[in-house]
Amino acid sequence: MKKTLTLLFCLSTLGGLSNAALAHGITKPQHGGVVQMNGETLFELVVNPAGVSLYVLDEDEPVNAAAMTAKLSISAGGKKTDVTMVPAKGNQFVAKGLKLAKDANVSVLVIDKATQSRYGTTFTIK
Amino acid sequence: MPATRTFLSALAIAAIGASGLAFSSSADAHGIWFAQRAKQIALIYGVGADDLEMTKRLPLVESLTAYDADYQPIKAAARVAGPIVLVDVDAQPTLVAAVMPYGVWSRVGDGEFEKKTLAEMPNATVSTKNVKYAVSIQGPLSKPIPALPGHGLQIIPAGPIPDKLGTPLTYRVLYNGKALAGARVINDMVNDPDAKEQMTAADGTVTLPVRNQGLNVVRAVYDGPTDQPTLYKQIEHTATLAFTLAHAPE
Repeated sequence: MKKTLTLLFCLSTLGGLSNAALAHGITKPQHGGVVQMNGETLFELVVNPAGVSLYVLDEDEPVNAAAMTAKLSISAGGKKTDVTMVPAKGNQFVAKGLKLAKDANVSVLVIDKATQSRYGTTFTIK
Repeated sequence: MPATRTFLSALAIAAIGASGLAFSSSADAHGIWFAQRAKQIALIYGVGADDLEMTKRLPLVESLTAYDADYQPIKAAARVAGPIVLVDVDAQPTLVAAVMPYGVWSRVGDGEFEKKTLAEMPNATVSTKNVKYAVSIQGPLSKPIPALPGHGLQIIPAGPIPDKLGTPLTYRVLYNGKALAGARVINDMVNDPDAKEQMTAADGTVTLPVRNQGLNVVRAVYDGPTDQPTLYKQIEHTATLAFTLAHAPE
């Protein structure tokens, strides 16, 4: 079992925004990470010593990561960093070696390469 | 504005004027706002339940911008998808914003508005340039929303967005970046467009209950001074602020 870094994620104090809704079917982490829902799309962010993984479910169905792009936009300490994730197995995207600082604001944007449809959410790390 | 865009805008205004599109005595009620369509961000033109033809008006849009959590610009572009205008962004935005000048319209007395300037209709009793602005909150706010470039009129929340409808929320209306007294505000231009307008106080604020456990589109209108008195007597600024409250877990 992978050892997951002890990081607490939470919704923003302004969690009343759209990202906080729990809606359809699976709403719990499947990989030991933290989940954010946006409508019927589930984003699970997993941080471990090897880096950061993102898993995406759309209406409970795993997306095909190979058919999509994923980008993290990280704001921390007044600095912004964009990280392009690499499609991995199934619905997993990875950013090897990536570290996330406490209080970082991590925005996720996944784009379907065929339709150009965008799916996104924001995590705040504590 | 690039020359091409200016030309396209002129064409669009001309087309709208020629077709008599949607400019009536109540035209000042119309605005632009952002809403979700099929999980995508869409730019809407209309009022109340009237979700009108945005693709036709797209050439009028002067700017379309997204902002990250630090309110730094993110690349954004409009994409026509059937009858809907979607917003493609390069990163998950905290805000999206648009500005759409809507031309000069004049009328005499209670007559119909025509797309004419004061120079073309010198006996006009009303002659107004219209500009529509829209801002939408798409992600959690870690700091107050600043005055955005190009937004002559802008609504900003003066405190945290609450979780529940009915909770009072104070808004501040900015005119050219400064607090504006006397702006006319309603808290739901989609579902209650005929609500009695509330005026902002001397500090530019007005407090209203958040109306919907879903999409909220707050609208402010201000009739500002003209910058070309030979062409129009005033500039009508119409701004919206859109945000959503999450529904309960299913």
